[in-house]
Amino acid sequence: MANAAATVAGMRDVPAAIRIMRWFIRHPPAVTFLLVVILCIVVGTINPGFWQVSNLFDMARSTVVRGLFALGVLVVLASGGLDVSFTAIAALVMYVITMLVTNYAPDLSIWPILGIAAASGAILGICNGLLVHALQAPSLIVTIGTQYAIRGFLLTFIGTALFMNIPESMDAFGKLALLRYEGANGAVATLPAYFLVLVVAASVTWYILNRTLIGRALYAVGGNAGIASRLGYNLRTVHVFVFAYAGLLAGIAGIMHVSSNRLANPFDLAGSELDVIAAVILGGARITGGSGTVLGTLLGVLLITLVNNVLILVGIPSTLQLAIIGLFILAAGAMFSIRPKS
Amino acid sequence: MSVYKKIATCTVALGALCAAQIAVAQDAPPVVTVVKVTGENWFTRMEEGVVAYGKDNTGVSTSQIGPAKADAAQQLRLIEDLVAKNVSAIAVVPMDPSALEGVFKRAMNRGIKIVTHEADSLKNTQVDIEAFDNKVFGARFNEKLAECMGKSGKWTSFVGSLGSLTHVQWADGGAENAKKYPEMELVSEKNESFNDANKAYEKAREILRKYPDIKGFQGGSAIDVIGIGRAVEEAGLVGKVCVVGLGLPKDTAKYLESGAVQSISFWDPKDAGYVMNKVAQLVIEGKEITDGMDLGVPGYNKVSVKQGPGEGIIVVGEAWVDVDKSNYSQYPF
Repeated sequence: MANAAATVAGMRDVPAAIRIMRWFIRHPPAVTFLLVVILCIVVGTINPGFWQVSNLFDMARSTVVRGLFALGVLVVLASGGLDVSFTAIAALVMYVITMLVTNYAPDLSIWPILGIAAASGAILGICNGLLVHALQAPSLIVTIGTQYAIRGFLLTFIGTALFMNIPESMDAFGKLALLRYEGANGAVATLPAYFLVLVVAASVTWYILNRTLIGRALYAVGGNAGIASRLGYNLRTVHVFVFAYAGLLAGIAGIMHVSSNRLANPFDLAGSELDVIAAVILGGARITGGSGTVLGTLLGVLLITLVNNVLILVGIPSTLQLAIIGLFILAAGAMFSIRPKS
Repeated sequence: MSVYKKIATCTVALGALCAAQIAVAQDAPPVVTVVKVTGENWFTRMEEGVVAYGKDNTGVSTSQIGPAKADAAQQLRLIEDLVAKNVSAIAVVPMDPSALEGVFKRAMNRGIKIVTHEADSLKNTQVDIEAFDNKVFGARFNEKLAECMGKSGKWTSFVGSLGSLTHVQWADGGAENAKKYPEMELVSEKNESFNDANKAYEKAREILRKYPDIKGFQGGSAIDVIGIGRAVEEAGLVGKVCVVGLGLPKDTAKYLESGAVQSISFWDPKDAGYVMNKVAQLVIEGKEITDGMDLGVPGYNKVSVKQGPGEGIIVVGEAWVDVDKSNYSQYPF
């Protein structure tokens, strides 16, 4: 705290603009928030149709799966690792569970399904964690490997066909509405109940990171693994925990994807890893580990979702959309690079 | 020691595998059909046609293979294996046509006949078979849409990706046809779904928001109509918005039943598989395929033949199938 007091004292004799910049540099999620606000204002000015309840609901709906993934990535990233296998885990879990439930227990309710998905995801995550620890290899390389292995296994041994008849309970869960809103032209918009899953997951993640010993441990390991281990933190526990947690969230995200999409397609989700990692980085987490907040991550997810979902509203032709998304991520990334290296 | 044992065992196993494959080769000239990916409903249906042709004609022995993953490199490897085995003819549904030019050239130099499907840009092929003219197919979608929309109102088109040539051709063909109806207005065309029903859904939601008075959607990839149908259904606009496009009966059944999707079109992969093998046999026997020829399968009774971009020819049928709520169940795939 003495440090903070010194900074405040030092701020007296610098211009306001620089002081504001320094404040933003110290609060990365604020930068993300600012970007979100600017984007909303710009889009809202171009097309007032942006300010609609149905738009808000759609945005909330699209953040769920990406948000669950991002929370997992945040935890892994905070501990100094990187996980890219989560989409493969989600695809495997969602496809296998949907198939098994349909064929053997079509009346199973949604809670045991979610439980099984979380557990299977966690088990796959534990394998990731053990491999990372045992091989002492960069977790990016290990998870690229497991991603391919898992996806290959799914497509070779489980199936490649689209699965339309998902269990009744999952279908109902996907359709369950928290709020309902009827637009001017009779079009109905609903805020799905599964949005609450993201809220719960975010709260739990926040609690783990800020209020538990393992939370402390994983920031410490992410900051400097050598020092953390000399301080008595168990690296193996941390590695296994973070990947298990990321796997658990991925498993749940898989079921969310199927429930909302009303079909299970084993080819889905592949290729969205980088989108998610970009969201977490834009939320202020450092790719080198040791930092990152839940709030920032959620804002990052919101930012990426916004960019992905407003281009038609603004009237950008689809040939240009990918390029615009790329440029936007570049620009946002550049804002973060102004931060001092510590 | 155990390492050597392992290597020895593997070698024996591998040898046995190769021997088994060679043993399969029969006396009749083998024609092998290579598909994009094995296990998908579409290509399972195609295999029925391939097998049926082999049963109907003892002159050739037919079989179908394909990679476990829709991957151009894996497909290339399978074809290279076939060239090494020196089969009589290879019929291919290419994942990425340009990636196969080299291997096809080598195969033809060795006297292996090459027949392709859905690859009218290929230079190194003897016969490319198209189920229909893509522009005409797109125009047919638009015609159905126009009929449903009462020939007026806003509409839009979807494509799997802007790189999917056929999807873009369908979208363009639709747009071209819509010019006949001055009341129809094309908005925000060629939305990319990336072959993901959820992306199609999200884009459709956004379009419904931007154009609350939109009347029609034309789907490109086979799952576009599923995503769009879901968006229309959830918005409570069934009956107010028309959805047509490429689709598979089994996958789209739910939305055809609910009325969110009016009609889907496709071509029967079984017939395509049958015709590919028929053409392969004709080529092996040195017979020419002529304009207006009857290949003996509905939709291919009067094919048109034109010159391809290379030495080969392109055979175009009229093999589209349109289904709606009333008759989709006749097609079990």
